[in-house]
Amino acid sequence: MIKQLSVFVENKPGSLMEVTSKLTEAHINIRAVASFDTPEFGILRLVVDKPTEAKGYLTERGFVVRVNDVIGAELEDKKGNLNQMLAVLAENSINVRYIYSFVIREGRAPVLVFSTDDYEKAASILKDAGVKMVDESDL
Amino acid sequence: MAGVSLENWQERIRDPKIECMSRDEMSALQSEKLVKQVKRVYENVPFYRRKMQQKGVEPGDIRGIEDIGKLPFTTKEDLRDNYPFGLLAVPQEKIARVQGTSGTTGKLTLASYTKYDVEVWGECVARALTMAGLTSEDRIHICYGYGLFTGGMGLDYGAMQLGAMAIPMSAGNTQRQMMCMEDFGATAFACTPSYALYLAESIQEAGLVDRMQLKAGIHGAEPWTEEMRRKIEDILHINCFDIYGLCEVTGPGVALDCIHHEGLHVYEDHFYPELINPATYEPCADGETGELVFTTLSKEGMPLIRYRTKDLTSMTHGTCKCGRTLVRIHKFTGRTDDMKVIRGVNVFPTQVETALLSMGGGVAPHYLMIVDRENNMDVLTVMVEVDERYFSDEIRKLDELKNKVAAVLKQALGVSVRVKLVEPKTIQRSEGKAKRVIDNRQM
Repeated sequence: MIKQLSVFVENKPGSLMEVTSKLTEAHINIRAVASFDTPEFGILRLVVDKPTEAKGYLTERGFVVRVNDVIGAELEDKKGNLNQMLAVLAENSINVRYIYSFVIREGRAPVLVFSTDDYEKAASILKDAGVKMVDESDL
Repeated sequence: MAGVSLENWQERIRDPKIECMSRDEMSALQSEKLVKQVKRVYENVPFYRRKMQQKGVEPGDIRGIEDIGKLPFTTKEDLRDNYPFGLLAVPQEKIARVQGTSGTTGKLTLASYTKYDVEVWGECVARALTMAGLTSEDRIHICYGYGLFTGGMGLDYGAMQLGAMAIPMSAGNTQRQMMCMEDFGATAFACTPSYALYLAESIQEAGLVDRMQLKAGIHGAEPWTEEMRRKIEDILHINCFDIYGLCEVTGPGVALDCIHHEGLHVYEDHFYPELINPATYEPCADGETGELVFTTLSKEGMPLIRYRTKDLTSMTHGTCKCGRTLVRIHKFTGRTDDMKVIRGVNVFPTQVETALLSMGGGVAPHYLMIVDRENNMDVLTVMVEVDERYFSDEIRKLDELKNKVAAVLKQALGVSVRVKLVEPKTIQRSEGKAKRVIDNRQM
């Protein structure tokens, strides 16, 4: 399981930078980041090295932040790898809300982050299908 | 944490002779004062003499308070036309101070006070502070602005008259406000309701609620709702009171609500209130909503005759549970000039506040209304802050929240509303009067 920060951001110039500059101030290292386009507001999702500290620091400065569990799976650089993972989740009727990936792992395999309905079940399904799962401690 | 519940509340009345007077005695007192006041303004203020002559009224026609309807109205425009000292009823050297508010047109609305006027003002605020349960032993933290704005000075005069200790903080610097409030052991604080809520939330966030000795909050200068009062009371464990006043009439201390919160008691021995239909000028019956009109019965410096406040409210006569017989005015529906007509529907900012608070969470009661005109249609956008407790990682849930707010507002206002969710604490908290509405329509 990986702890992910979700931060409410308005769609306006500088809103993402507001978050990243606060994290820089707090000496927090961002491992992965994802944001999707929405007309007025959106959610900035982050994987960081110190999620609890990051939430505290941002909350004190007026941001709305939630920490939630997502699952991480190692990606192999071969055709059909992502498709295979999504296929097993689909077969088991697991709804994928969103996915994003991150690559900065000092020479190790990239990680794909999944947010799904039943993340514990999703993790065990992927594991059973031979996918290598990534934990907070492996990052 | 010194909040007092109603069960062990001890009602204090500073001037029971006046505040609990029978209606007949009060009318007799008002009649006597009105007759003198009308004579004085007719003789000393050319503006009033001219207006009365135009209406064909002479001082001798006013024999008692029941004749007040014969007198002409005074409006904000009249004050502006006679700015700054055209309405004085005493020689300029008798004026001890001026206070004012910034008008929307750039010029101030200015009021002039003699020494006696300032004493009456302080006495009225002292009555109000007593109504809020305060005595000479209390320490009153005043975070209204000091200056031309009447809030700071008004509460200060009241505290002095009461013999209490004033802490003249003025507005701004919330960290310092909290520090002084704690260090000096303030037992009451006075500021606008929007700043009171902001301060209360800041005290709560800093974990300082238990270290405060507060028992009462005195808040006014902008309309607020019962829900907002309860919210401040719940956070700080205090009783909050609604103080009403306007600088033209005297400043804060024209009226205050008592612990029963069933209307604000008007100090009608000094400020005679009437309620009129703003379109027909006919008097309103108890319970009907109309525009509040004041005649200052005691003022020497700049007396006002039938001054139209533009504040909309209703009135109740009769004895209150607290024992006072003073006429009560009710929570303001709004001002005739805060009211926005959107697609033909009258909308008041306070309705938005009530609706947001009625949702019981999801959004904070801080909002900004923006009125635009697109393709000849009025469009109302309400910006509301997302509440941390209801924030979800899913855009879908935020959309649901947004739609729910839009539905609640449409139900409350009778017009459809575009809702824009914004980050917490991004809507400006005012330290003076909150700006709740921006009207971008070019009329």
